[in-house]
Amino acid sequence: MNRRCLLAALLCWLFGAGVQASETIEWWQFWTDPGVKPTIQAMVEEFEEANPDIKVKLTDLTWANGHEKIVIAFASGKAPDVLELGSDWIAQFAVHGHLAELTADALKDSADFRGWSMATYQGKVYAHPWILGTRVLFSNRDLLTKAGYEKDFIPADQQQFKEAAFKIGNLGRDIYGWGSNTAEKHRLYKKFLPFFWTAGAQLFTDDNKYCVLSSKKAADALRLYKELHDSCGYVATQRGIEDAFLDGRIGFILSGDWLLKRIELEKRDINLVSTLMPGPRFPGRSFLGGEFLALAEASTHKAAAAKLIEFITSPDNQARFCKAARSANPSSRAAQEDEYFRSNIHLQTFIKQIAMAKHPPVDPNWVEMETAIEEAVEDALFGSGLVAESLMKARIKIDKLRRQ
Amino acid sequence: MVKPEGKLRSGIRYLALALILLVMVFPLLWMFRVSLMDVGSSIGMGRLLSGSVTFRNYVDLLGAGNLGRALLNSVLVGASVTLGNILFCFMTGYTLARFRHIANRLLFVSVIVVLMIPAHIVIIPFYVLMLKAGLYDTYWALILPFLVNPIGIFLVKQYVESIPPSMEEAARMDGAGELRILLAVVMPLCRPALAVLAIQVFFTNWNSFLFPYILTTSDELRTLPVALALLQGHQAVDWQHLMAGSSIAVIPVLILFIVMQRQIVSGVTAGAIKQ
Amino acid sequence: MNSPKSTALVLALPWGATLILFWLFPLVYSFVMGFTDYRLLVADYQWVGWSNYRELLLDPDFRAALKNTFVFVVGTIPVTTVVALGLALLVSQGFKGRGIFRAGFFLPSVTSMVVIALIFTNLYQRGGYVAMLAELVGLSPPEYGFLYDRGTALYSIMAMDVWMSVGYYMLIFLAGLKAIPDELYEAAEIAGAGKLRQFGAITLPLLRPVALFIVVINSIKSFQVFVEIFVMTKGKFDTATAVYFIYSEGLATHFRFGYASAAAYVLFVIIAVFSVVQFALLRRREALW
Repeated sequence: MNRRCLLAALLCWLFGAGVQASETIEWWQFWTDPGVKPTIQAMVEEFEEANPDIKVKLTDLTWANGHEKIVIAFASGKAPDVLELGSDWIAQFAVHGHLAELTADALKDSADFRGWSMATYQGKVYAHPWILGTRVLFSNRDLLTKAGYEKDFIPADQQQFKEAAFKIGNLGRDIYGWGSNTAEKHRLYKKFLPFFWTAGAQLFTDDNKYCVLSSKKAADALRLYKELHDSCGYVATQRGIEDAFLDGRIGFILSGDWLLKRIELEKRDINLVSTLMPGPRFPGRSFLGGEFLALAEASTHKAAAAKLIEFITSPDNQARFCKAARSANPSSRAAQEDEYFRSNIHLQTFIKQIAMAKHPPVDPNWVEMETAIEEAVEDALFGSGLVAESLMKARIKIDKLRRQ
Repeated sequence: MVKPEGKLRSGIRYLALALILLVMVFPLLWMFRVSLMDVGSSIGMGRLLSGSVTFRNYVDLLGAGNLGRALLNSVLVGASVTLGNILFCFMTGYTLARFRHIANRLLFVSVIVVLMIPAHIVIIPFYVLMLKAGLYDTYWALILPFLVNPIGIFLVKQYVESIPPSMEEAARMDGAGELRILLAVVMPLCRPALAVLAIQVFFTNWNSFLFPYILTTSDELRTLPVALALLQGHQAVDWQHLMAGSSIAVIPVLILFIVMQRQIVSGVTAGAIKQ
Repeated sequence: MNSPKSTALVLALPWGATLILFWLFPLVYSFVMGFTDYRLLVADYQWVGWSNYRELLLDPDFRAALKNTFVFVVGTIPVTTVVALGLALLVSQGFKGRGIFRAGFFLPSVTSMVVIALIFTNLYQRGGYVAMLAELVGLSPPEYGFLYDRGTALYSIMAMDVWMSVGYYMLIFLAGLKAIPDELYEAAEIAGAGKLRQFGAITLPLLRPVALFIVVINSIKSFQVFVEIFVMTKGKFDTATAVYFIYSEGLATHFRFGYASAAAYVLFVIIAVFSVVQFALLRRREALW
């Protein structure tokens, strides 16, 4: 009897110890680029070293099918513990209870990070900001000079910006003033919304009751966008616009920080300046988005997962990651103080713009609303050409979505 | 209908035919030409004849890119579905042709009915079915639903009906088991019909997009058409590579087309005429 | 395994299993789903009766998709049929090199639609070959390319579809033409009927069943057009079709299975009615002849 007890106790201890020995958490993320992935892996290895009882299983997702994979994972109960989510996806998963609310402990350093409002749905926080992104105005200095402007000229407001774009557009047959995106899903709206918000227009009334996409200010913004497109716009996909801009054929484009990475990697020689979005009188508002790390509600390793999230989003790791990615802005204010960011004037523009950028509403139906907005812009630019009508149609669609 | 034709009429006819042929074939020729062009250079009309010739794009896609894997997948799935169909359609067609009881009548009606059902109605249920069965994003999802094609059953049934049952009866009298009769006696006789069936099924499967796209999501499981369509979505891909990828999808078809043209044509016309 | 009965049972098994698992079950499941609000992301769902169908009737996207699908069917089928017949007539007589032409016309229809769509995306783009052709004949092509204009996008895709499928139907017409006995033509010759009369009195009527077959299967295929839209325009510029709608509602973003299944059944019923009507109309006219 004693032997058996001893054996049982021994087994219990071994088994218990085995269970304590290591838990594995799964992390799904989108950074698969060969220049960046090693940094992710290095961070994961460091985390495992610092936490010997936690193992991290990394899974790569691509933007082509990542969303679907995540949806299916949640639906079939096989979701990972930690997952990277784009800011416009958070609400649709939060609303069905798939994401865990961040604990008070996880929020203790919240003041250091920007972007919390994108992860807050109905008053609760469902993800931790990791990397932020915005769009700034890139101008080709050489073309500005050719158009007769002084060496250091920067358009101070929208009127000057418009005039400069027109002048550049008149420089020659193959020169354009403005890079206008063609009908590309999930891209076009990010180019239009800066104009929209800069004009002072809103998507919804302050009490969030009604959609006011077809307000007068919105129509003005779309008219300006259309004017640029019609008179001096180079119409192509994002890639096409970047190519032409880097070839020196476009005066102004709105782009994200990946353009800087391209310039560096391709060793492009272009005399450009990056500025904040020009507004009617003062700097205007740009588009804000970002990548967040969320914890699945169904996860059985929440404590370990929270530790991973804290580790990856720590200021040091953010700075390190952004440097490796060369096309990401950290959400941590402390990380933004890093010498790497302070010494790069373009990155400084991005950081300043982030402080003045707006993000879309945190709504489970946002992706469909985004489609409606894009359709309105496409209709005004490529279709009927009617600004007010297109906005009105989109507004009706969005109202209907919200009533569902 | 053989009538002597004047030289002029004949000439006009050849001209018309040649023009039409050009229209029909030009896009594919263009595809091959561009696939051989260098990424750096332009693909404009002027460069069609004078431009570079390089296999670089093919190497890129098959080597580092996903397309090598996609090609393998298409071959694997295509072969499996074709072999499966040969066996199963043969079984079903034979039993419908030879055994005449009511259950078989019903079975035959079911084949006709399914032939008429548009495929779109089963997309979502397939998706849910595969998810629930845990077969989503696996080779099984690409193969299992397509193993028995009603058209194949039809082809075999018609063909077997045209074979006199005397050989089978003789074999039966010799004491051979049913299985033996089927495989050793009837199947070899059905080779022509099976060849037509095989090529029909293989082509349909090789070119199919909707179901493989819906039922898989990982890069490793994508078939060629799906991988191609997704390649286009990628920002960084140029026409030269896209056309090289397209050519990879077309070349096997072309080869089979040349080798088995008679069977292909047979397959197209078979169902039609009986209707 | 020796009795005929047990053999028959085993032989019928593969089809039986496929029939039940992959046809009957999905059909019923889809039907039932159409009456629920089942979505992938949400664990529980409830019966909503006809509410999905009501919503579909009011959904401008669905209406547009149905309209586009109709335009596609009505626009391509007559053209494809006539051109296929024309090609068949051109190639039906024996002459040197006939095999090459026949093969060349047929080739596009055996290639993957994805490949065709990719090629034509380039041919239709701004400054592409089709634009150049248009300018040659004095028409001005849309500013951003044929696929970026609401007035031309759908029609461009339809034209591509006709181009691709005529070869396939040409073969069927050829077989039909071959089946007409020469004696009929010879008798008509002797009776003094000209070529045109022969065509109208012999060829056309005898090709009727073949033409009917072609129209019916072409319709069923055309009602389900999807791949081209997915590859070329993703439904933009008023090109979304019914199956594209089903895909984007049910298998993208929000995975609204119930709603998409209801849409699928609406399309199913439309196809069924269309096929039946076609059969009835075209067969009745045959009796009149």
